[in-house]
Amino acid sequence: MNQIAIIARLEIRRAFFSRRALWVYLLALFPAALFLGRGVSVNYDRREYAAKPATPAVVLDRLPVGTTDAAALAAAGPPLRDHTWKRAQTTHRSLHYFDGSNRVWLQFENGALKNTRRLPLNSFDQDLRVYAGVFQYFYLRLAVFFGCLGIFINLFRGEMIDKSLHYWFLAPVRREILVLGKYCAGLIAAAAIFGGGALLSFGALLSYQTAADVEPYLRMDALAHGFWYVLAAVLGCAGYGSVFLAAGLVLRNPIIPAIVMLLWESINGFLPELLQKLSVLHYLQSLCPVPAPIDPSAPPLARMILSPAAPSSVWAALLGLVALTALVLWAATRTARRLEINYGTE
Amino acid sequence: MSHDLILFDGVSKFYGEVLGVNKVDLQIPPGITSLVGPNGSGKTTLMNLMAGLIHPGRGSVFVRGISPFAPEKLMRILGYATQYDAAPRGLTGFDFVRAGLLLHGFAAAEAARRAEAAIATVALTHAAPRKIAAYSKGMRQRIRLAQAIAHDPAVLVLDEPLNGLDPLVRAETIALFRDYAARGHHVILSSHVLQEVDVFSDQVILIANGRIVAEGAIRSVREEIHEHPSQFLLQCRQPARLAALLFEQADILEARIDPAGSGLRVLTRQRAAFADAIQRIALSGVVIDGVLPMDENVDALYEYLIGGGQ
Ligand SMILES: Nc1ncnc2c1ncn2[C@@H]1O[C@H](COP(=O)(O)OP(=O)(O)OP(=O)(O)O)[C@@H](O)[C@H]1O
Ligand SMILES: [Mg+2]
Repeated sequence: MNQIAIIARLEIRRAFFSRRALWVYLLALFPAALFLGRGVSVNYDRREYAAKPATPAVVLDRLPVGTTDAAALAAAGPPLRDHTWKRAQTTHRSLHYFDGSNRVWLQFENGALKNTRRLPLNSFDQDLRVYAGVFQYFYLRLAVFFGCLGIFINLFRGEMIDKSLHYWFLAPVRREILVLGKYCAGLIAAAAIFGGGALLSFGALLSYQTAADVEPYLRMDALAHGFWYVLAAVLGCAGYGSVFLAAGLVLRNPIIPAIVMLLWESINGFLPELLQKLSVLHYLQSLCPVPAPIDPSAPPLARMILSPAAPSSVWAALLGLVALTALVLWAATRTARRLEINYGTE
Repeated sequence: MSHDLILFDGVSKFYGEVLGVNKVDLQIPPGITSLVGPNGSGKTTLMNLMAGLIHPGRGSVFVRGISPFAPEKLMRILGYATQYDAAPRGLTGFDFVRAGLLLHGFAAAEAARRAEAAIATVALTHAAPRKIAAYSKGMRQRIRLAQAIAHDPAVLVLDEPLNGLDPLVRAETIALFRDYAARGHHVILSSHVLQEVDVFSDQVILIANGRIVAEGAIRSVREEIHEHPSQFLLQCRQPARLAALLFEQADILEARIDPAGSGLRVLTRQRAAFADAIQRIALSGVVIDGVLPMDENVDALYEYLIGGGQ
């Protein structure tokens, strides 16, 4: 036990600041940057429109289809923007208004109102769904995946390349303990980086919402959602980490396990149920609090790949992931016991 | 199971197709033991087997009764300074030695104290706060030695420990070995050159092509090589004439005309004198097309040891 802590302490600096660490941080911070950027753009829009005259929504809503543009202008007053263009035989005109929280476009064809398009400055519900999508499709599938590849595969493979692995083997430490100690170091680093990244991006998502949206959310779901997102990221590190640590024990080339794992995780939806249980993503998806949006018009193949695997209950998912990680780590310790120092063929 | 011997019992190790060592049986008592042999003879392989860095394909190894498959026990009594020159990235000499001691379970203060002591023993105190990456080859060699001795192991394994040391440090290092052995410990070291180690070794193991060719106290090893007659094939067109000249000029045991007709087979114990005689005979006009050693291991080693003295 104590030895695991000593190994993890000796190893942790390297896990955080490895040669290849920079892109790991970039991956982890990407969603936070994305939502911070979105926040900046939303706030900019808000300021822009705040300075403009608002037309009450009731006025705009009262205009029935077929109203002439002249009548609309008379009822709603001068628009923010007035745009006319001609295509084929039809004259199009678009009058742009702001009703205080939505941007509204009245669209005319040949002088008659065809439809009214309304877009809120920002929709919290929609942002929550976008966040869920980014988290599942980008963060868990790619960022955590490749980040763990970078951190964990080098725990052993990196030292074989540096020809320094034998120092660990010459310590009075069981190989099993060595594997676990290194795994802990990797896990602490990965969990801090990607758990932190999840927390930051979730904070960024909430940072620019209106008080009216955020306050009820903070009272109701925010804490639970944030918790599950961070937990899913951390457990993702635990699961992928064990796999890549094991891969680093046996394979020299990091590309191979990356491709194999990525394929395995992607086709997982097609596999029989028993094999699905051997996928990290399978469990992670059940832990995400908000289902990721999926375009119903997407081709069935794409939907198969992206769609959440057969959802298990949260506790089953937690247990399953822990069991899967333990199984892989056990296999890794078995391999490490027989591992030999073989720098000769590098 | 003997608890103060290092035992190899029928140990073979292949790296894929390549022979590392073959059918090695050894019983090494405490004291200074030198493994001597040319490049690629299997010295590092034997040491790695002792330390459990590699595992035998066949046979078994025990170090003072402990199997190398149990590093948590073995490394408490074994310190190994390898031939691998690399050091962990970014560590200072002091951190490097101290990290090893922390893994031994020493408390931070005790680990620091022992690290300082070990570094002082190898006379590197001035360089301890510097990064190992910036050390010279000899300094890296010494810091590895410091790490190997820091926990005061009963078995000290050192792969070519005298390589690259200046004469002063070399003398101090040898004194350290003697000191260690005097306390009933094992000191196992390797070298290319018999003359370099025979003065201070209690025992020498000669190894060539993955086999032990001679072992024992230094004098008996010398005699063993000397007594072991070696065979040569002399390729020539006048084998009978050459045989007559050789019996006259060199101390040979036997000369037979090769049945295949390719020349003369000769058995001798005095290789150096034999080589001189061949040269004289060739200069006198007898055509000798080639001299082939027929007894690979011992001859290669002998040539090597003779050559190593130069
Ligand atoms: N990792 C390896 N892969 C393949 N062959 C190896 C490996 N390590 C050693 N060998 C082979 O095993 C044989 C013995 O090598 P070893 O390193 O034990 O020799 P050595 O006596 O230590 O040589 P040196 O004096 O050069 O250090 C050599 O033929 C070598 O090519
Ligand atoms: Mg060697």
